[in-house]
Amino acid sequence: MSRSDEENEGQRVWKALSEAGLVEIRLEDFTDRLGEVKRLVSMRLRDLLNFATGTQECESAARSLATLKGLEVRLQATAPRQSKSSKNG
Amino acid sequence: MIPTAKQLRTEADWPPEGGEMLGFKSSAGFETGILKEVRWGLVWRDFILEDGRVIPEHRISGSPHPQVWRRVDEVTAAEQEACEERLLNMANSGMDPRKRDQLFWAELNQYLAYTYLKFKKAGEQQGNQRTAS
Repeated sequence: MSRSDEENEGQRVWKALSEAGLVEIRLEDFTDRLGEVKRLVSMRLRDLLNFATGTQECESAARSLATLKGLEVRLQATAPRQSKSSKNG
Repeated sequence: MIPTAKQLRTEADWPPEGGEMLGFKSSAGFETGILKEVRWGLVWRDFILEDGRVIPEHRISGSPHPQVWRRVDEVTAAEQEACEERLLNMANSGMDPRKRDQLFWAELNQYLAYTYLKFKKAGEQQGNQRTAS
């Protein structure tokens, strides 16, 4: 990969994460961001199971989902107040 | 605050070494701290300060742009699993990730970013393959 390609890839990653509000998560948004990532992984896992492809990725997605669910439960238990639905940029 | 000559770095002398004083952006404005070590996370580099704060590279004053990122396929399954275990251990021990610039906050930020990039990219690739076939 050339330096220019690497820079473009870096900018693409930065843009994707910024748009998803994941470069730096605001403290009050952790529960919302976690829920959004969990939904993405759930959709991907469903796809993998429906099309019976990618056993390794399927295991990885299932593990990630379990981790996110575990973290979500803990976060909700320690939430100082109800989370907002606004995104950070 | 105007950066000093010391803070205007080039890629050649980046990242700085342990023991150096760093400036970084924070919610309070601009702060400084002594660097203990630089550690790669799942997506970007974190700068760990002597006082325990963990600052992502993009907030460090003088960090080169564009920033260097890890590709999601560079992260091994073992590394991902180790990170997941650490996160669950921190959560189960009662730590709160809503403490800005602390280890749990930093690790969870990176884990969510990594997981998002990994599965979004994989989903898009599969979608493109289906469209093409």
